[in-house]
Amino acid sequence: MSDFLDLILEPLQEVFLKFKVFLPNLLAMLVIMVAGILLAKVIRLMLVKSLNAINFDNWSDRVGMTTLMRKGDLWSKPTAALGAVIFWLLIIVTLMIGLSALRMHAIDNLVEQFFAYLPRAFSAAVILIVGSLLAGFISRAILIAAVNSGYHYSKLLAEAVRTLLTVLILAMAMEQLQIAPGIVLAAFSIIFGGIVTALAIAFGVGGIDAAKRMIERENGAEKKDEIEHL
Amino acid sequence: MNTVSLRSDVHEQIAKIAHADIVVGIPSYNNARTIGHVVRAVQAGLAKYFPTYRAVIVNSDGGSSDGTMEVVQKTSVEDFSVILLHHRIEPISKIAFPYSGIPGKGSAFRTIFEIAQKLDAKACVVVDSDIRSITPEWIELLVTPVLVGGFDYVAPLYHRHKFDGTITNSIIYPLTRALYGKRVRQPIGGDFGFSGKMAQFYLTKDVWETDVARFGIDIWMTTTAIANGFKVAQSFLGAKIHDAKDPGADLSSMLYQVVSALFDLMETYSTVWMPIRGSEPVPAFGFEYTVGLEHVNVNTARMLAMFREGLVNLREIWLDILGAGDFREVERLGELPDAEFDFPLSLWTRIICDYAIAYHRKKMPVAHLIKSLTPLYIGKTASFIRTAENMDAAGAEAEIEKLCIEFECNKDYLATNWK
Repeated sequence: MSDFLDLILEPLQEVFLKFKVFLPNLLAMLVIMVAGILLAKVIRLMLVKSLNAINFDNWSDRVGMTTLMRKGDLWSKPTAALGAVIFWLLIIVTLMIGLSALRMHAIDNLVEQFFAYLPRAFSAAVILIVGSLLAGFISRAILIAAVNSGYHYSKLLAEAVRTLLTVLILAMAMEQLQIAPGIVLAAFSIIFGGIVTALAIAFGVGGIDAAKRMIERENGAEKKDEIEHL
Repeated sequence: MNTVSLRSDVHEQIAKIAHADIVVGIPSYNNARTIGHVVRAVQAGLAKYFPTYRAVIVNSDGGSSDGTMEVVQKTSVEDFSVILLHHRIEPISKIAFPYSGIPGKGSAFRTIFEIAQKLDAKACVVVDSDIRSITPEWIELLVTPVLVGGFDYVAPLYHRHKFDGTITNSIIYPLTRALYGKRVRQPIGGDFGFSGKMAQFYLTKDVWETDVARFGIDIWMTTTAIANGFKVAQSFLGAKIHDAKDPGADLSSMLYQVVSALFDLMETYSTVWMPIRGSEPVPAFGFEYTVGLEHVNVNTARMLAMFREGLVNLREIWLDILGAGDFREVERLGELPDAEFDFPLSLWTRIICDYAIAYHRKKMPVAHLIKSLTPLYIGKTASFIRTAENMDAAGAEAEIEKLCIEFECNKDYLATNWK
């Protein structure tokens, strides 16, 4: 009878002992999670206040970041959006640290992979933000210069440049994230090359008359205005 | 304040001259074809009107490769008896050298100010090196108000074709007048007279590493003189005829250079212009006469096509800068047939104010902001040409006066939105 009881109690004891060993880890994880969430909230509050103090929203309006957000259907203020991004980033980091406190082999591997991937995700985010701002700046500069030169398809040209740059930026970001790099590279080459070839054919075939007019104008066939503007 | 580094031979020449009453500065860059005439006119003017004053002609060159400085050194009036009734007592010295610093007219002027300061000059004059219509009288008209009248700054007054100087007529003059309350008709004329005290004051300003050194010097000099309470006058010089300009010169770049310099000065002197309302004339010297001016070819249909092209393509940018109300008015303007196209003065005034406010609020990069004004400016110019087509010079001037009054009336709008 006692053997039979041992047979039942031993696994229970084992589970209890394992749980006793595991309990501090679980408690540590919970403490880390609670502290991390509180810390993330405090950091978000301080960050938003600091950003408001330096008029971050105005700066975002000026550099076109707000417009970029609106285009992406984000309607909160840039300050609040950045605060939320940082908050959730801290929550994810807290979760990973908390999980690593459980000292489980499978989770440890996952955490390690997460932290190894973090710099890549960060650089991809930077590429996307800076690239979008740069694409907006360049396409607007082209639009204004083309309009002032009297070019008829200014908007089309500016949009074509913006699209090409966006494709390039997306390919760079995906390459950074190591998402099927071979496919991304091939797809990028096909799309980019295709667009450039299509544009070359379109301008070459469709633009003969326009090019002729431009050359004639440059050669002085058309009489120039003689106003002295200054 | 940092001083410019002059070459040792220039230092030697300055030391040899020691003192001068009048310094005439001529900035140049590849002007060998025209600078000889300018130097001769200056020499004749100094000989004829200031024979007892010690004078120096300073050619501050931007590294010309066509022998501009050699032309300056070799040029002299061969026979003064043709233009003088008496012999000159004091000799006229000449210094020609390449200036150092950021390439631009402002750096050339800075060097001229430095030399004027070192020579303790009482009066200075600067004239463009490509002016074909300069006469010896220009020197008298720009120097006498300083030497005799006690003025610190003398701006030029020219007779120009009614379609010329459109950036000055539709933006620079009306806005400068409304802002600072002084009716200086040619704030960016390029040929100015000023006192030695004024030159020294210019040197105290820390602007020589900015765009002022590159291209904004004319409006900067005029505005600095007015905004700092110096005594300002203007002299009638006659016709202003330049050497033929580079036909490839880009209008939007020109607009950017001049308008950005003006808006930048609005930032510097916001406390000065904010309370000023209305304007007053400044004393004018010289005998005004009518001059024959060359015919100007202009194609308003093409200009209006460019305006409409801007309306289609720059819609979002204009909407952002002008706001929905004024943009709707611009849109309505674009729908009018060429024969009925008439840019309302009030709308143009508000557009310039809106651009100034957008510049102040840094709504977008400065070059994008101001270059996006080009089609609107072309539309306004076409409208002015249509209005003034059958007018004489006085009628065209009356139109500009109407625009100036409109700018003065809109000062509250500008001041309120600037804050």
